Parts: sequence; C-alpha cells; structure tokens
Amino acid sequence: MSGPMIELAGVSKSFGAHQVLRGVDLSVGRSEVVCLIGPSGSGKSTLLRCVNFLEPYDSGEVRIEGRLIGFEEAENGARRPMNARKLRDMRREIGMVFQHFNLWPHMTALGNVAEPLRRVRGLDAREAAERAGAMLARVGLAAKAGAYPSRLSGGQQQRVAIARALAMQPRLMLFDEPTSALDPELVGEVLEVMKSLAAEGMTMLIVTHEMGFAAHVAGSIAFIDEGRIIDSGPPAHVFHDSPEPRVRQFLQTYHDRNAF
Amino acid sequence: MSLDLFWRYAPSLVSGFAVTIVCWSVGGALGLFLGFAITLMNRLRFPPLNWLLRGFIEIFRGTPFLMQLFLIYAGGPAIGLRLGATTAGIVGLGLYSSAYFAEIFRAGFASVPVGQIEAAASVGMAPFDTLIRVTLPGALIAAVPSIVNMLIVLSKETVVLSIITVPELMYQVQTMAAETFTAFSAIFAMAVFYWLLVETVSRLGARLEARVTGFLAREEAPA
Repeated sequence: MSGPMIELAGVSKSFGAHQVLRGVDLSVGRSEVVCLIGPSGSGKSTLLRCVNFLEPYDSGEVRIEGRLIGFEEAENGARRPMNARKLRDMRREIGMVFQHFNLWPHMTALGNVAEPLRRVRGLDAREAAERAGAMLARVGLAAKAGAYPSRLSGGQQQRVAIARALAMQPRLMLFDEPTSALDPELVGEVLEVMKSLAAEGMTMLIVTHEMGFAAHVAGSIAFIDEGRIIDSGPPAHVFHDSPEPRVRQFLQTYHDRNAF
Repeated sequence: MSLDLFWRYAPSLVSGFAVTIVCWSVGGALGLFLGFAITLMNRLRFPPLNWLLRGFIEIFRGTPFLMQLFLIYAGGPAIGLRLGATTAGIVGLGLYSSAYFAEIFRAGFASVPVGQIEAAASVGMAPFDTLIRVTLPGALIAAVPSIVNMLIVLSKETVVLSIITVPELMYQVQTMAAETFTAFSAIFAMAVFYWLLVETVSRLGARLEARVTGFLAREEAPA
C-alpha cells in the first residue's frame, strides 16, 4: 500500500471555548521524520495526541495508512466513535513517547517493556522478557533491566520508555517533547537513540524544542502557531528562508537565547 | 492493685481480647471488601448507582458509630434482621469502616498519574489489563498507609460493641470493675491489651508499607 503513513486533513479541536487546533493539514510519508515546532501553547502536543486519538479531535480527519482513527464512517457519510477494540488495535501499531516518560513505577525497566508484550501482543513470560531484554540492549540499558524507574536517571527512564514503545514493533512513532523534562546533559543520549531509529527508517512525528536535532534529523519541519501550521518544508527552508514573520521571530528568539 | 486479681480474671480478659480481635479483624475485612466494592462500582460512572453509594458513604461517615450499631442491633428486627450481638457488632464495624475505606481507595485511584494510564492506552492495553496491572497496584500502594491507620482507628472502635453486650475486652473489663470495685486495675489491664494490639498492627503495617513501596528505594528487583 502506498500513500502517506499519517495524513491529517482539517483537524480541529477545542477545549471549551478555546480552539486549540484550527484545521491542520499534515502528511508524513513512510520512513519520514517530521518535527513539529512552535511556541508553547500553540497546539503541537494536542496535534500529536490526536494522531493516536489520546486526544479526540472534533472535526477533520486523521488517517493512519489511509485508515481513519477514532471514528468509523457510515455509508451516509456520518461518523460515530470507533469501537474501543478497533481503536486499541490501531494504537498498538503507533508507538508513543511522552515528555514525562510515564513509566509504571512498580515495575522494573524490563517489566515496563515486557508488560505490553504480554498483555497486548500475548507473548508468554519468557518470550516477552527476551524481547524486552533485547530492546533494552538496543537503547543501551541492558545492565539496568532489573532497576526500578526511581533508580534511573531521566535520560535512562526515557530510553526505557522508547524501548517499551519500540518492543511493540510499531509502524510509526510519536514523540511528545521527549527531552523537555531532562537535564541538559542527559538530552544527548535520548537524541542519539532517536537518530538511530530515524536512520533505520522508522516513521517519526516529533514535537520538540531541540532545533539542532530537528535541523539535522528531520526530513521536514512544520511550524505551528495558534493551532495552525503556518509554514512547513525542509529544515533549510523553515530555518533560513521562511517568509513568515512569526517563524523568523520565534527562531531569532531561540537563536539569541542559545548564543553565548 | 493486686496481681492476684489479674490472675483470677485472666481467662475472661483473654477471651474478651480474643473476641475483640475477631470482631476487629472480621469487621475490618468486611469493611475493606465493601469499601473496595463501593469504589469499583463508583468507577462505573452510572449516575443512579453513584448517588446511592454517595448517600451510603455520607450516612455512615456522618453519623455516630454507636447510633449505627443500635440501629442494626435493636432496629434490625423491625425489618426482619435478627442478629446476635457479636454478628451485629461485626456487621456494624464492617459497614461503618467500609464508608471510610471507600474514600481511602478512591483517593488511592485518584493518586495514580493520568500519564501512566495514557501510556497503557498508547500501547493498546485493554481497560481490564490497565486496571489490574497499572491503576490498581498504584492505587493500593498509595492507600496502604491510610488503610493501616483506619484499621488502628477501627481496633479502638470495637470498645463500643460492649454497649450492645458483645463479650469483647471492654465488656469483660467492665464486668471485672463492677464485680471487684477495681476500676483502675481493670482499665489498666485493658490499656495493656490495646497497646499490644495497636503496636502489633502498626508494626505490621509499617513492614507492609516498606514492602509495597520497596520499588521506590530498592536498587535491584529480587531475582
């Protein structure tokens, strides 16, 4: 099947009277890495969360490999909420990594990675532990398999979270500010793992404030402001040639803050 | 006070202590079970059921335990519920504590960060698995200190059962005091037994707490 991995068309979302997303169109191709950037409160995270329907969108369409997520279409064009089981089936193919890791604190690193394999993929305990161990090794944490999250650094916890998502063998990965809660010196280890994933051809949609990472790894950048994508394209375009004053201003501020 | 007197009353004091422990532990277990059931039913978010359970909790938290006990023991026969004193006492302790346990479990559930549940949703985990493997462990771990606390409170509420003639420790102590005119000795004996009980419960509780929250401090999982 060809066509994009993720396709958003006219996605809108309001929290009460506040409209967070105002008709967003976005397409992410297979093995493409797209970074969403923009000011705080612009709707980046909400948009990302609409992709696996953790956040139900009000109107528009989010399609994963052509399939509408969160809603089912009737013949007359009306749509109704998707059957919960079907939604779960779609979600298990979409890995997600959160800003605050969201590991389960009462399980070891290995337990966190193995749990979805057992409960969702139906692997037996030994198989799940084996695959989980391999995934931890993949993110450089084989030695920490028995450690509880409270004993891991933020960077290690985030790598466990990536291993947990990756172990499910997802078709695409969503990252919601994966390095924003980390000490600056721990950011690198997480970005390295993400770079290697990109190099392996994983489709990735990433909300980030790491402009250097976005510039080097992303195939394209989408700049969101007030719930709209106001500019998008290859990093060179968005970072250097954007005609949008809002984008230039944001990047200038960013540039100033990081210059020393 | 004479040690002699204690020896004479030792059998009735020990039997009273045993009845106290039975009432407390069975009543507490009943309360934990009912309280947990109430919390789970409340999570179904079915409004009529929610109102009903809310009303139950308000009534049993908002009225004196002694009144509830009278209602069950003395008022029970009016609705065809004839219970012996001890059974009525245990049922009373169970209903009374269930209202508190329900609130403790509710707070436990509320303390589980939503992100942990979202993480389960994001890998496609079913609601039941999420409850059993993610929400429930977190909720129970958070609830343990409050549960132990409530059990200690409950152990002391058992003295109220003496009023409906349950032959527990307070009842035996009052008998001893009345028969020998030694109120101080009798109450001193009771204090010793209660101290023993509460101390045991709080020590066991502390060990349980250390055990279930061990993952917050322990370096490696047990092999």
